[in-house]
Amino acid sequence: MFEAPVQRLIDELARLPGIGRKSAQRLAFHLLHIEEADAVRLGSSIIDLRREVRLCSRCFNVTSDEECSICRDLRRDPTVLCVVERAQDIPVIEGTQEFSGRYHVLGGAISPIEGIGPDQLRMRELVARIDQEGVAEVIAATNPTVEGDATALYLARLLKPLGVRVTQLASGLPVGGDLDYADEVTLGRALVGRQEL
Amino acid sequence: MHLAWLELRDFRSYESLDFRPDPGVNVLVGHNGAGKTNVLEAIGYLSALRSFRGSPDAALIRSGTPAGIVRGGFERESGEVRVEVEIPEGGRRRVLFNGKRPQRFSDVARELPLVAFLPDDLDLLKGGPGGRRQYIDDLIARLHPAAGADLAEYDKALRQRNSLLRNEGPAADALTIDVWDDRLADLGSRVFTHRLRLLDRIAPVLAASYRTVGGSEELTFTYTTQWMGAAGKGTSRDPGDHIDAIRDALSARRMRDLDQKTTTLGPHRDDPGIRIDDRDARTQASQGEQRSAALGLRIAAYRALENRHDRPPMLLLDDVFSELDPLRAGGVLELLPKGQVFVTTARDDEVPVAGRRWAVRGGVVT
Repeated sequence: MFEAPVQRLIDELARLPGIGRKSAQRLAFHLLHIEEADAVRLGSSIIDLRREVRLCSRCFNVTSDEECSICRDLRRDPTVLCVVERAQDIPVIEGTQEFSGRYHVLGGAISPIEGIGPDQLRMRELVARIDQEGVAEVIAATNPTVEGDATALYLARLLKPLGVRVTQLASGLPVGGDLDYADEVTLGRALVGRQEL
Repeated sequence: MHLAWLELRDFRSYESLDFRPDPGVNVLVGHNGAGKTNVLEAIGYLSALRSFRGSPDAALIRSGTPAGIVRGGFERESGEVRVEVEIPEGGRRRVLFNGKRPQRFSDVARELPLVAFLPDDLDLLKGGPGGRRQYIDDLIARLHPAAGADLAEYDKALRQRNSLLRNEGPAADALTIDVWDDRLADLGSRVFTHRLRLLDRIAPVLAASYRTVGGSEELTFTYTTQWMGAAGKGTSRDPGDHIDAIRDALSARRMRDLDQKTTTLGPHRDDPGIRIDDRDARTQASQGEQRSAALGLRIAAYRALENRHDRPPMLLLDDVFSELDPLRAGGVLELLPKGQVFVTTARDDEVPVAGRRWAVRGGVVT
């Protein structure tokens, strides 16, 4: 046990994802020694995050305005929607420079074990956007997990009857790597999904 | 490959054990309850990452202590492979493979080939289909990584569907169940064909293994499902060919599943069986035939792993010689000289093989 203020910080830090007891202690003792100005900046940036950031009213991306910068960008193609589980997936896909449509953040994946069904995700909001925005294609960019795949299937079953084309990201080999470094499951899937040349 | 060292802390009956076994044959001698099997169980746990007794992790922690720890180092030509597991009371276990978290637990099993012969192996013949499915699935995961991943995913999808049925019952959203049916059909068809292909592969090995333990009859596998009847030679081994059959069967069972709040049909309920000549080994074989067939199954697993890795797997023999006549014991002994072996026995003279003797007494191995 440490002095109460130190212990309180350790407890708070240890609740963050990916941070265990040991890391929390290390961080806490590091913070103990930083300049006061740095501490204030760190503290206020956490508070500002709560005050200034909200969810885009259209796609549920994080934004500081009513709508996010992607939804406001008139050059983006409104007929293609990329559906992701979490807002942090958006910058990853943006980084590819390959996608010029808009996004929709579901807020998770279907997982009955965790009590998450379609009603707990932003499915209704998605269906509403199909009509409003004239969406022709939905790309399911969910994680390649059992839950992510089930969510992609759900999107297909939900949206195809509305005349929407539903596609899913392909799974395969990392580009620029050697075959012998690929893990066997990924390579096995890539083999099953091989393409005609 | 062999286990060079094993460390236990608060694992089963052991407060602390540091064990440096011989690279060849190790015979652990001790009274019943002395803790011999616990040592074998710990070694098996390092490879399979579960108890070969089927015990839940919580049962492995020495009672009254906060966490159990198993660590072991395996020596290979390419250097040491280290597996470390910490099992906290009421928490998630932590697994390190060479100091890092393994991507998949089956990666560990594949790197550390191991076969255990257990006193309850007769249940593979006499018991229900669960033990036989486990035997097959365990071998699939050890032999074929991508197939092992399919088994794990089927299991996850099944637990999700069951959770939905249990929590929501008849009120469950039909579209959501459809989606899980699709996943189960797709993954289930893969599981089914992986199993058939595994049985194809080890059937000749099993027949030969059965003869080395004194069997003269014809030994064959059968495989019965509730969704397509009995599978046979003519059944397609293509994973794409059974998706519709499983999906149709699931949807025909939907009312019953909703009512019983669980998935009552699919590869997780399939029944792999064994026939001795034309008799069902479960109900129409003698005790002796069943014992030989059980040994045959374990020997076949050993041969299949040996073949895959070009080196003998580690072998755990938990109190098997007390039940065996010299002929059947001879079939097991044929496996012995090659790799590292751990044998437990209450009576030293029952084990007809040379090797390092260890006395197990009062939580100490000397």
